[in-house]
Amino acid sequence: MNTGIQKELSIGFISGRKRRFIFSVLLLLIFILLILDIFLGSVSIKASEVIRAIFTHTNSNFETIILKFRLPKAITALTVGVALSLSGLQMQTIFRNPMAGPYVLGISSGASLGVAFVILGFSANITTDSLNGLGNWILVAASWAGAGAVMMLIMVISSRVKDIMTVLILGIMLASGISAVVTIMQYFSNETMLKAYVIWTMGSLGNLTSSQLNVLLISVSVGVIMSLFSSKMLNALLLGENYAGSIGLNVRFARAVIFICTSILAGSVTAFCGPIGFIGIAVPHIARILFKTSDHKVLVPGTILLGGAVMLISDIISQLPGSENVLPVNAVTSLIGIPVVIWVILRNRKYSGSF
Amino acid sequence: MKTYLEEILSLNSLKIGYVSGKKENILLPPLSASAIRGELIAVIGRNGIGKSTLLRTLAGLQQPLGGEIFYSKKNIRDYSRMELAQEVGYISTEIVKVSNMRVYDLVALGRFPHTNWIGKIEAKDHMAIMDALKKTSMESFREKFVSELSDGERQKTMIARILAQDTGIMIMDEPTAFLDVAGKYEILHLMRLLSNKNKKTIIFSTHDLQMAISQSDKIWLILDNKLFEGAPEDLMIAGEFDHLFDSSTVVFNSEDGTFSFRSDTKGNIYVEGDGNKKHWTMMAINRAGFNVSKEKTFPYVIIPSESNKNWRLSNKTGILEFSTIYELITYLRR
Repeated sequence: MNTGIQKELSIGFISGRKRRFIFSVLLLLIFILLILDIFLGSVSIKASEVIRAIFTHTNSNFETIILKFRLPKAITALTVGVALSLSGLQMQTIFRNPMAGPYVLGISSGASLGVAFVILGFSANITTDSLNGLGNWILVAASWAGAGAVMMLIMVISSRVKDIMTVLILGIMLASGISAVVTIMQYFSNETMLKAYVIWTMGSLGNLTSSQLNVLLISVSVGVIMSLFSSKMLNALLLGENYAGSIGLNVRFARAVIFICTSILAGSVTAFCGPIGFIGIAVPHIARILFKTSDHKVLVPGTILLGGAVMLISDIISQLPGSENVLPVNAVTSLIGIPVVIWVILRNRKYSGSF
Repeated sequence: MKTYLEEILSLNSLKIGYVSGKKENILLPPLSASAIRGELIAVIGRNGIGKSTLLRTLAGLQQPLGGEIFYSKKNIRDYSRMELAQEVGYISTEIVKVSNMRVYDLVALGRFPHTNWIGKIEAKDHMAIMDALKKTSMESFREKFVSELSDGERQKTMIARILAQDTGIMIMDEPTAFLDVAGKYEILHLMRLLSNKNKKTIIFSTHDLQMAISQSDKIWLILDNKLFEGAPEDLMIAGEFDHLFDSSTVVFNSEDGTFSFRSDTKGNIYVEGDGNKKHWTMMAINRAGFNVSKEKTFPYVIIPSESNKNWRLSNKTGILEFSTIYELITYLRR
């Protein structure tokens, strides 16, 4: 009997070893991509200069570019990729909808509304320059609140409408409605406020001040830790709330934790980088294909690594290495994400209703 | 009621229903019933009477609106969510369709109340999962994706999941609803086995009255005014099943547990002969709208014996011969 069990466990162990191998490869890939992202850019800098800039104090222009621009940007890309992908994974599980993601369901729009309230509504007191320190936290908190509010709305809709595509369409309507509100707010705001807001909406990975990057890193770390702790709850929620309750999950508590976690992750990114599309929806699916599992003990770390890698790739592409032009990163993420989304829709016709 | 075994569940004036806003919508008069270890209990009642609500309330997914539920003599209100999940497992008619979820993973989710904060599957959990797969004969499917299973296989996987959950009581809402006849009996056989051999108390709802009567130890018959409980035979003798039907159209035969439609009789026919051919001939004649009379009068049917392969119908004008029951009743129905 005992040897039989050992044999059974060893079968599990082999797939575990394969899994660990994929994780190692992904870690290595992220390391390589991080270096590439620092080395490549619109100004071509020799590798030796890059290394000198990082390890010695030369005060050259190159050093400024590397340390003040490229390194923070690469770290931002990594953080943004992790945060958006994780929030997408959690949303897909909690709504039991393969098409859920912070961008498509209007969560990012909700966050934008929060930001618009701060910049357009209260900027009599807060100017762009004062958006440091406490101002950043106010901005990010408004963004979380906006994201959270839309999450609640989508939850209410999802509990009434079971059809995945209908929820998706309603999410798009919601996003359009919110941008209409923001447009009206823009109409009534003065020129300086408007300018500040428009600059924000163009958002990119490279415009963060160091204090903003700190706020982003702290918020996303909190979100990542919460996600790791909610793996077990997410697994139970895969079965739907009735079964989840019957196996001992406190569904309300689980949902609240995951809501807060998702709002923090998606809201923080949107607050500082603007809405970035299709990473949140696509990466969890890539993780599912790669690991062939629905187990969040594997999917959460897998999505973290893949999300970081995909966002770094997007950032490298957006810099158009070798040319002096830079593409908006949002365009690149859309072009990477949309084929995955289309593939999921087409595949889902086969197992209709599953994700 | 006298019981000789440990009572594992008792309902005491339980009120079930929904709360919408501040208004309580109580579905049924207070229910009292009980279950002992290892019993297979069928919950019978017409559509929409509140069977699912009762089962959801028993599973702790819905609050009772009054009265008490005791599991092993402890009130359900004194159980935490996690503790209750170690007493009661639940299967609804909701279908689990998650892509990339393997049979093993789904069954492993039954270990939820037993695993640590991240849900790590330890050796004892693995043993419980494999044991559950073995009992439901799903071992060879464990690497398969849940989305690729047939309805029957999926239902067996769901049952394996509550076996892995290791609860004394299993609650199943219409476990055979989507299945074909063979699948129905396979699942019922499995349920019977689990209650006999593993001493699981299984409470399931069904619309298949004949199946419930023939296989369950006890029936909870829910009617508009009361819950009757007892062995199927006790309820049958007391004539309780009659209340399930609109008595103007359906007749429940309390002698053999079958149903027939009440219709204007076209006349009496006597049947002469014996064996199963007689039984089936009588069934067919009843269906064709005739009563089987007890005295030999015209017309009468003689069941074929070995030497004669034809059914012979004698009436006042002569004798007609039919080689099958079908021909006979087609003639009678003309």
